[in-house]
Amino acid sequence: MFFGITLLVFTIERLAGDPVQIYTALNPRVTEVQRQALRHFLGLDQPIPLQYIQWLSQLLTGNLGFSYTYGSVSTIISQELWATLELQLIGLALSLTIAIPIGILSARKRYSLIDVTVTSTSLIGTSIPIFFLGVAFILIFGYDLHWFPSGGLQSITPDKYPFGSLFLDQLWHLTLPAAVYTFALLAPVVLLVRSSMLEVLRQDYILAARASGLQERTVIYKHGLRNALIPIVTYIGLYFGGLLAGAPVTETVFNWPGVGRQFVASTGNLDFPVIQAIVVIITLMTLVANLVTDVTYAYIDPRIRLE
Amino acid sequence: MIREVDGIMSQQPQPKNVQSRGVSQWALAWRRLRTNKVAIAGLAIVGIFAVMAAFDRLVALYPPQCPVGLSPYCPGDGIARFNSPPSTIHPFGTNSYGYDVYSEIVYGARAAFIIGLGATGLAILIAVLIGLTAGYFGGWIDNVLMRLTEVFLVIPFFLLLLVFLQISIKFAGGATGGIWLVVFIIGTFSWPGAARIIRGEILRVREFEFIAASRQIGASSARILFRHLFPNSLHIIIVLLTLQIAASILTEAAVSFLGFGAPGSNTWGQQMFTESNYINQAWWGTLFPAIFVTIMVMGFNLLGNGLRDALDPRLRE
Repeated sequence: MFFGITLLVFTIERLAGDPVQIYTALNPRVTEVQRQALRHFLGLDQPIPLQYIQWLSQLLTGNLGFSYTYGSVSTIISQELWATLELQLIGLALSLTIAIPIGILSARKRYSLIDVTVTSTSLIGTSIPIFFLGVAFILIFGYDLHWFPSGGLQSITPDKYPFGSLFLDQLWHLTLPAAVYTFALLAPVVLLVRSSMLEVLRQDYILAARASGLQERTVIYKHGLRNALIPIVTYIGLYFGGLLAGAPVTETVFNWPGVGRQFVASTGNLDFPVIQAIVVIITLMTLVANLVTDVTYAYIDPRIRLE
Repeated sequence: MIREVDGIMSQQPQPKNVQSRGVSQWALAWRRLRTNKVAIAGLAIVGIFAVMAAFDRLVALYPPQCPVGLSPYCPGDGIARFNSPPSTIHPFGTNSYGYDVYSEIVYGARAAFIIGLGATGLAILIAVLIGLTAGYFGGWIDNVLMRLTEVFLVIPFFLLLLVFLQISIKFAGGATGGIWLVVFIIGTFSWPGAARIIRGEILRVREFEFIAASRQIGASSARILFRHLFPNSLHIIIVLLTLQIAASILTEAAVSFLGFGAPGSNTWGQQMFTESNYINQAWWGTLFPAIFVTIMVMGFNLLGNGLRDALDPRLRE
């Protein structure tokens, strides 16, 4: 599977164009001979299968190669990976903390005013393009109100730091993009928690738990929520796999120096080594996320045994 | 309240094989759909957009991509207006090219339908073929097809889309056919989720007695597949279709916004991509297309959810 995906990307990107042409197009003094020499230097004049095998053997020794523009791929990616993870994990944690109680409340008070409001708001929420949300936030809170910076990881010069603290400055920059992620995830998770809880609350063991005189709190959170968690964990597992893949739009909008923005830029530049490295990391993360999801299933529901 | 009563009604056993011409399942589904106000709102939204797309020349105020005041074909007072705010003659203002934003949005509706229906048609076609085959034949065929589906599920869909679209930009250039390439690429990558669900449904329907019966009387596999299994899983396919249209429109808007759309196509995503450079001076050029994407996607989502409730009583909460 891993080889299939990487080989596919490898071939496609080479069909998409000639990076040497792109990088030298603006310089009229570069001759065709020099271009050919550059292609040879980058190994682009060899047949694709050969290039793939060479790249793969380098990968096995942990060498991701050099970007055509900035330097070592592993240096670029490792910095960006942190920026992306920071943003995504905060967004995920915030949206789960907000979405689960709302979803439960909505399921308990089914067809009430609260439920109808929550459900219809969530349906609208799932329809809003994430980049629109980002642009709207920047316009309102960035340009209009000047509450938050409109992009980037931190201020350029230390004198712009609020109270002279780098930590506060980064937090300040993080607020808008993290809020966008939280909103984007909120709506689907609320709907999922609601439908999953509705299903569970109908079960006989909930009735039994209530009949045995347990507190409503215990019934809902210990007996109800735990059984309703399976589809939610599945969703988060899938989301986690695509965690980095989901990032390009928001990161580009907020100029956030993460993997997603890098991927967009590298695809535009046909910076092959960087594209390949990001695909490798995402594929590996997806496989790990699937494994973790399976282990979590067994933890939540002891009936599921890992073979 | 109506929903509750309706829920009880739909759980009553439906008489099968009645001699007299009874009410069809589709009529029953329509009845359920009709009582669902939210779904009807979705249907109305989709309908309005369909009218807009079909009669775009009548609904729009100006011809497509027409720089106001600069072209003799463009009605107006002869004054060129770039990035001018919403006014009585330009309800949503004009954009950086001097086009009327409202008219451009109207022309974008047709592009949105082409993308939504085209990409979804392709995706669901692949999904139905794979789902039916895998579910019906089982065994090693099922195994191979499901592994393939998993590969496509694990593939970082959005990233691969960007790399693929880079090719389409290279080959299609500024040609008008570019949008079909985008449709094709989105379609080829959007099927795996639907294929899995359809397979699951086929696995369920396959076990019913009437399938065994028709096999007993010597019906061919093709007949069972297309005359029995396909119609009996149609309710799920229709729901998947509706929701996938919404997803495809959103995907196209996102890739276009990043600058990977078909150059020269006039989609809402493309409009936002070009106008977002001027968002500080002229927010209307970006905001209004975004609002229309949201409304249209919402329309399909509401309709899809309503259809799910109406078509499959088992899924009703």
